[in-house]
Amino acid sequence: MFAATTSTSTFTNEPVLELRRAAVRARLADALATVDAVLPIRVPAWIGVDTREGDELLSTDPGEPERVVARAACAGAEEVAAAVHSAERGAEAWSAVPASERAAVLIGAAAWMRERRLELAALEVRECAKPWPEADADVCEAIDFLEYYARGAVALEAGRTLAQAPGERNELSYAPRGVAAVISPWNFPIAIPCGMSAAALATGNAVVLKPAEQSPACALRIVQALRAAGAPPSAIALLPGNGEAGAALVRHPKVHTIAFTGSLPVGLEIIRAAADTPTGQRHLKRVVAELGGKNCIIVDADADLDEAVPAIVSSAFLYAGQKCSAASRVLVHEAIADALLRRVAGAARTLVVGQAEDLATDVPPVIERAAQARVNRYAELAARDGVIVAGHGQVPDRGWFCPPTVAAELPAGSAVLEEEIFGPLLAIERVRDVEDACEIVGAQPFGLTGGLFARNPATVKYVRARSPVGNLYVNRGITGAMVGRQPFGGNRLSGNGTKAGGPDYLLQFVEPRVVTENTMRHGLVV
Amino acid sequence: MTARIVATHRTPSASGRYRPAVGSTSEQIEAEVHRVGAELADAFPSPARHPMKALDARAMELAAADLEIRAALFRFVDVVPACRSMDDLARHLAGFLDELPDGPPPVLAAIKVADTRAGRAALGAAAAAGVKHMAHRFIVGETPGTAVPVLRRLWARGIASSVDLLGEATVTEPEADAYAARCADALRSLSAATARWPERPTLERDGSGGLARANVSVKVSALTPLLRPDAPELGERDAARRLAPLLREAKALGAHVHIDTESLDSREAVLGLVLALLTQEEFRDGPSTGIVLQAYMRDSPEQLDQILEWASAHERTPPPVIRLVKGAYWDHEVAEAGQHGWPVPVFEVKAECDRNFEALTRRLLAARPTVRVAIASHNLRSVAHAIAVNRSSGADDGDLELQVLRGLGDDLQDALAARGFRVRTYCPVGDLVAGMAYLVRRLLENTSNESFLHAQASGVPLDELLAPP
Repeated sequence: MFAATTSTSTFTNEPVLELRRAAVRARLADALATVDAVLPIRVPAWIGVDTREGDELLSTDPGEPERVVARAACAGAEEVAAAVHSAERGAEAWSAVPASERAAVLIGAAAWMRERRLELAALEVRECAKPWPEADADVCEAIDFLEYYARGAVALEAGRTLAQAPGERNELSYAPRGVAAVISPWNFPIAIPCGMSAAALATGNAVVLKPAEQSPACALRIVQALRAAGAPPSAIALLPGNGEAGAALVRHPKVHTIAFTGSLPVGLEIIRAAADTPTGQRHLKRVVAELGGKNCIIVDADADLDEAVPAIVSSAFLYAGQKCSAASRVLVHEAIADALLRRVAGAARTLVVGQAEDLATDVPPVIERAAQARVNRYAELAARDGVIVAGHGQVPDRGWFCPPTVAAELPAGSAVLEEEIFGPLLAIERVRDVEDACEIVGAQPFGLTGGLFARNPATVKYVRARSPVGNLYVNRGITGAMVGRQPFGGNRLSGNGTKAGGPDYLLQFVEPRVVTENTMRHGLVV
Repeated sequence: MTARIVATHRTPSASGRYRPAVGSTSEQIEAEVHRVGAELADAFPSPARHPMKALDARAMELAAADLEIRAALFRFVDVVPACRSMDDLARHLAGFLDELPDGPPPVLAAIKVADTRAGRAALGAAAAAGVKHMAHRFIVGETPGTAVPVLRRLWARGIASSVDLLGEATVTEPEADAYAARCADALRSLSAATARWPERPTLERDGSGGLARANVSVKVSALTPLLRPDAPELGERDAARRLAPLLREAKALGAHVHIDTESLDSREAVLGLVLALLTQEEFRDGPSTGIVLQAYMRDSPEQLDQILEWASAHERTPPPVIRLVKGAYWDHEVAEAGQHGWPVPVFEVKAECDRNFEALTRRLLAARPTVRVAIASHNLRSVAHAIAVNRSSGADDGDLELQVLRGLGDDLQDALAARGFRVRTYCPVGDLVAGMAYLVRRLLENTSNESFLHAQASGVPLDELLAPP
């Protein structure tokens, strides 16, 4: 049912499931049953052809914590060293493979995933409590990254055109940097690790993947896909593990590139550690960092609230707000603030809190007990500092559920307005006008996504010019970036602006080399 | 067009008007289509009688001629109710026209006055008046109460109506409750008002029996905030607890409730809801209800299979009315499918859609008396075709209802009424804020280069307009 592609065909996004059709929805239960039948999944440390299974890490279903989804090994310092050592040799061999052949491997991995799309999505439903539509979108995004970077790497191999003078030939080409450490989060458990790994592999690097300890089984599928499609065992290693494994990888002198998506504190630690040049290291490490956000949606007085309210609610609460792009603050023009507040609060109250496998669910549980405690802490703080206009709802007592909460009248400086909460908690603030809103956005340390609801083209122009964010969405929701259409990534403390799924991303994984050759012989241009 | 329909001997209609007997071959039906079409075209009111309409037509022409101007005008119309002052309005207009690649067209050069505050106030007032005027063409009143005099005048001229309550999108439970209350109120006030109207036999009876005077169209998306394309049962359940009391109310009042179909995202929930509710014992003998079939959907023939299968399995008195429309969400469906990489669910070639419309017309008319049929179109060919097929089947003209939209189908409405056909005009009621989404959809439709009305207005010869698609 899914068409095969080649690296020379035009890139198109993998279509998400058309779940509005009953026949498509009917296929989901079987996929879930298929996955349930193989749980728990054993996730080994997988270095070259060697695997070591272990029970040190358990990943459980956030909606049903008794259900063990994966039993994983927890990579230690020796395994980190072994993985990097293997990758070092792997990088040498893999870099010699022409880009078109590397691209064919990525496209093969995309095909492997395409054949197992529903099972992969079902695994996300279980391991990360990602509701079906979003789990499916995540698998599609992983496929998109493979297909997109495959094509990009083939184009990049041709180099770039330079100015040429008589008697000389100038050539610019891009060489792989070497070993890439990929340290990934659990919230897009297949797309993000797959995307970072695919970019590194496409450009001829070897990858050591250290996925989040909450989602090792999803990561295993990525490595299986790549290896099944012909990626050499030495080109991609899997190191399930915790923060220590990640830290050891970052410090390793033979690692060249660190691709990290996660929180700001960890990101800063990585950037600091990567700046060191321990004995034996003959290069500067490059860090690709996608960090947190505190994303604002500005609503001007002329906004269409019929459009704005559903977009705000879905941006804030889908997947329980656990997206770095999720809406956290709404800055609304005072002229329509009352109406907006009433309608957003009312809409939030209609949200269905439930299990990820239920298609009616809007808000699934958060990832783990600690996350639940954190979100609840912020909700208590919001109740103390301001007013809760929607929330306090009953949620299931098993599983890490948090009620979707809307807070208002929070004082400037409240932690609820400044810190990344990463949960279903939205703050609404009144502003005098759009200029006022832009001041607030401009004063923030983060700059990931932003939204604007306004219908005057002059307002849109004004906010575009003042907005520091990496992705600004106008008159729509602020999540759901598509590969090739909305290259994604933040500025300021939200990241180093590398834009995953965009035309410049691969440049992070290569080093440019220029060769200038004298073509004069005995005064003749030859 | 090879289907043969059994012809029976024709009897004169209730009005005693002479009609030619119609044969059943496709040639005979085509001949009748042309005869009826020409007759209706003759009965169209002359444009000279409507100077304001001519002005509107010029604005529409301008919009249809240039996609950029069209976009700018629609974006402006869309934002008018959200503007807080005439000054604000003028700034928006200036903003949209500034976006035009070639600057504002000469006819809109008045925009230059937007440089001063007094100029903006004047421009804003003029633009607001223009939009308000346009809105009033399509929207009959702010409330059912204010709409009643308009509806009564239509009735007096032989034109029935269906009232559609425009509203903001329903995103909360209180909004859904408020909409349901407005519907109940409309049912009551229309029933009370229409009881005093004079008799109009053409509008009040067909072969299946009496027809309600009070007729309200209801939108399921307004009856629940829980319509989720991926989980239709959720919205179905929630809407049912508001629709059931409305049906009870309508049954007690003898009014008709028509459930509109919206975009594909909610179609399954809407059909599921209606079929489930109407199957319930208490609604087997009323009220009169209806649903909508959209001919632009590629799978509309299968939808009709489902509807007819249901209708014959659960016989109702009175039979459900199936309103056949082309469908008003074409742009939305195409864009949504494009953004998700899904197959486009609607016909993209107008002739295919028109052919499907005629095929569905034939099937619907053949399905009577299990269902009642309302053909809702402004396409003279589609309307004449329905009339011709109806006649060829031996049915009375009165066994077919023709429907038009207020503001778009006024001329056709007048012509149909003048020729003694049963015509019902879909009359939106609501304030300007609520009406804007509706208005923009209508304007888009009216200025589409593919629109029949556009072709008609630009002087395409009648023979061409009446040619088979």
